Amino acid sequence: MLDRESRKPVGADLIIPVAAGAYAIYYVLSVRSFPWQAQMSGMILAGLMLLLVLIYLARVAIGLRRGRYSMGFGDFFGAPASRASRAIFVALIVAYIFAVPYLGFTLTTFAFLALSFHVAGARPVGRALLTAGLAALGGWFFFIVLLNTRFPKGPFEQLMGAIF
Amino acid sequence: MEFDAAFITGLFLHSFSLWWVIIPAVLIGIVMGAIPGFAAHNTIIILLPLTLALDVEVALVFMVALYSASHLGGGIPAILLNIPGTGGAAATTLDGYQMTKNGQASKALAVCFVASVMGGLISSIVTLFALPALSRVGYYVHSVEMVVIMLFGLALIASIAAQDMLKGLIAGAFGLMLGAMGADHIYATPRGTFGFLELFDGVPLVPALIGLFAISEALVMLEQKWLVDTKGTVAVPATTWANSLSETLQAFRKWWLITWTSLLGLVIGVLPGAGASIAAFVAYQQARLFSKTPERFGTGFSDGVAAPEAANNGVTTGTLVPLLAIGVPGGSTAAVMMVVLQFHGFPFGPRLFVEAPELAYGVITAMAVSYVFMFLTIVPMVRYMSRITVVSTMYLAPMIVAFTLVGAFVPRGFLFDMGIAFAFGIIGYVARKTGYHVAAILIGVILGPLIERSFILAMRISGNDPMVMFSSTIGNILWVLLLLSLLLPVVTGRWRDRRAKAAGRSTGASR
Repeated sequence: MLDRESRKPVGADLIIPVAAGAYAIYYVLSVRSFPWQAQMSGMILAGLMLLLVLIYLARVAIGLRRGRYSMGFGDFFGAPASRASRAIFVALIVAYIFAVPYLGFTLTTFAFLALSFHVAGARPVGRALLTAGLAALGGWFFFIVLLNTRFPKGPFEQLMGAIF
Repeated sequence: MEFDAAFITGLFLHSFSLWWVIIPAVLIGIVMGAIPGFAAHNTIIILLPLTLALDVEVALVFMVALYSASHLGGGIPAILLNIPGTGGAAATTLDGYQMTKNGQASKALAVCFVASVMGGLISSIVTLFALPALSRVGYYVHSVEMVVIMLFGLALIASIAAQDMLKGLIAGAFGLMLGAMGADHIYATPRGTFGFLELFDGVPLVPALIGLFAISEALVMLEQKWLVDTKGTVAVPATTWANSLSETLQAFRKWWLITWTSLLGLVIGVLPGAGASIAAFVAYQQARLFSKTPERFGTGFSDGVAAPEAANNGVTTGTLVPLLAIGVPGGSTAAVMMVVLQFHGFPFGPRLFVEAPELAYGVITAMAVSYVFMFLTIVPMVRYMSRITVVSTMYLAPMIVAFTLVGAFVPRGFLFDMGIAFAFGIIGYVARKTGYHVAAILIGVILGPLIERSFILAMRISGNDPMVMFSSTIGNILWVLLLLSLLLPVVTGRWRDRRAKAAGRSTGASR
C-alpha cells in the first residue's frame, strides 16, 4: 500500500465514465417503449458502454482497496492562483451565449474579449481594449462584410448596414 | 473519367491556379504549427466559418494546405526551443535541439524543411497513384464490413492514441452513444434528446467539434500564462542567405533516408489513430537501426532530424486515405474535413470518386502543390520563426472562444448550437484533464449514426439475423484484427511487467 501522498487521485477520472453510464441508462429508458428493431442498435451500444464503465469502476475499486488510488481530484482544477479568473472566464462564455442574440456578433465579441483579457490579467487596460476592439472589428469585416457569414446581427451590424 | 497523364496534369495545373488559397493557408499553418499545443485541427476549427462559407473545393484545399504546413511548422520550436509545436515533432527535439546547442540551428532548420517538403511531396505523389486502387476497396465493403471497419478504426484510435486503452475505449463508446442521439432510422422517434427539439436530427457535428477541440483547449490553455516557458532557451545566431542556401542544398543529399522514412510515415498514417508522433519516433528508431553511425544519434546528428520530419510529413496524406477510400476519418484533421464535406452535402468513400473525382484526387494534388509553395515561403521566414512561439494565453484563449463559439451558430442558425458547443467544451475539458481522448469522442460522434445505419441495413437484409455480422470473410478477418488490436496491448503489457519483475528479482538475488 502506498502512502497517502503517492496514491494516484482518480476522483476526476470518474466524471466521464459516470456521465457516460448515466447517459446510457437514460438512453435505454428513452427507447424502452419502441419496437425492438428500433431499440436494438441503441441497446447494444448502451450495453457496450455500461460494460466498459463497469470494468473501469472495478479497476478503480481494486486500486482503492489495494491503496494505489485515492478519491482526490489532483490538479483537475489547475493552479489555485488562476482558478477564480478561469471560473469568471467560464461565466463570461455563458454570458456571451445569452447576450449575442441581442447585441450581435461585433458588440458581444468586443465586450467578451475586453472583459476576458482583463480577467485573465492582460495589462495595460488600454492595450487590452484596443486588441478587443480590433479583433471584433476585424471579425465583423472579414466574416460579415467580406464573407457574408450568417453571424448573429445586432445594433452595430444594423447601423453599419444602414450607413453602407 | 480516365485516370491518365492528361487528368493528372490537369489536376496539378488546377491546384497551382489555387495559389491564392494555398499561400495564405501555408503561412497560417506554419505559424500555428510553430505554436506548441496548437494543432492544425484547432486552427481549421477557428477558421470554420470561413471554410463553411467557401466553395467546397477551395475549403478543402485551404484545409489540406494548412494541415500540411502545420506539420512542417511544428519542427521549428522543436529545434529552436526544445518544445515540439505538434506531437509529430517530438522526435525532432532529440537531435534538432542538440544541433541548436552545437551552434547549427540554421542547418537543423534547413534539414527539417527539406525533409518535410520532400517527405510530404513523395508521400502525396505515391498516394495519388495508389488512390485508383484504394478507391475500389470501397466496392468490396458492404454494410456488415462497414460496421466492423468503423469499430476497428475506433478501437485502434482508442488503443493507440489514448495513453490508457480502457479510457480510450470509454471515450469512443461515449462518442458513439452521443452520436446515436436523435430520431431512430426506422420510426423517426427521438431517442436520448432530453426533450430538445434541436437534437431531433442528432448531435450537430460543427458545434460538437468546436466544443471538444477549441473551447476545451482554451479552458486548458488559461491555466498557464504563456504557451512556452522561454527560460533557458538558446539564442539563435544570425545566418546569411548564402549559408542558408548552401545548407538547404546539402540537405537534399539525404534523399534516400527521406524517401524511405516518408513512405514509412505514409503507411503508419493510413492506420486510424496511429498519428504523426508514432510515425516520427518509429522513423527515428529505424533510421538509427540502419545507420552506419548509430552512436551519433542524440548528439546533434542531422539524420536524426531528417528521418522524423520526413515521416511526420509522410503521415499527412496517409491520414486522408481512410477518409477518401472508405469514408472513415483516420484522425482529428480528417474528422474536421469530413464535417466540412458533410456540411456541403458531399459523399465519402467510393461515391466521392464517382460523383466528384476531381475533388477526391484534387485534395492530394493540392497537398503536393502546397509542399512546393511551402518550400518557397518558408526560407525567408526562418530568421523570425522563434518569436512565434512566445504567445500570451491571456489574449489567445478568449480569441479562440469568441471566434469559434459564434462559428457553432453558422451551419443551422440556432443559438442552441452555441450551448451545445459549450457543453461539449466542458466534456472536452474534463476529457483532456483526465486522459480520455477527445478525438476518440469526436470520431465516435461522427461514426455513431453511420454505424447505426450500416447495422440496421445489414439486419434488414438478413431478416434480422444477428449472425449476419459474421457472414463475410473480410468482416471476419476484421473481427479477428479488432480482437487482436484490443488484446495484444494487454498481453504484451503484462508480459513486459512480468519480465521487468523477473529481472528485478534476479538482480536482487545476485546481490
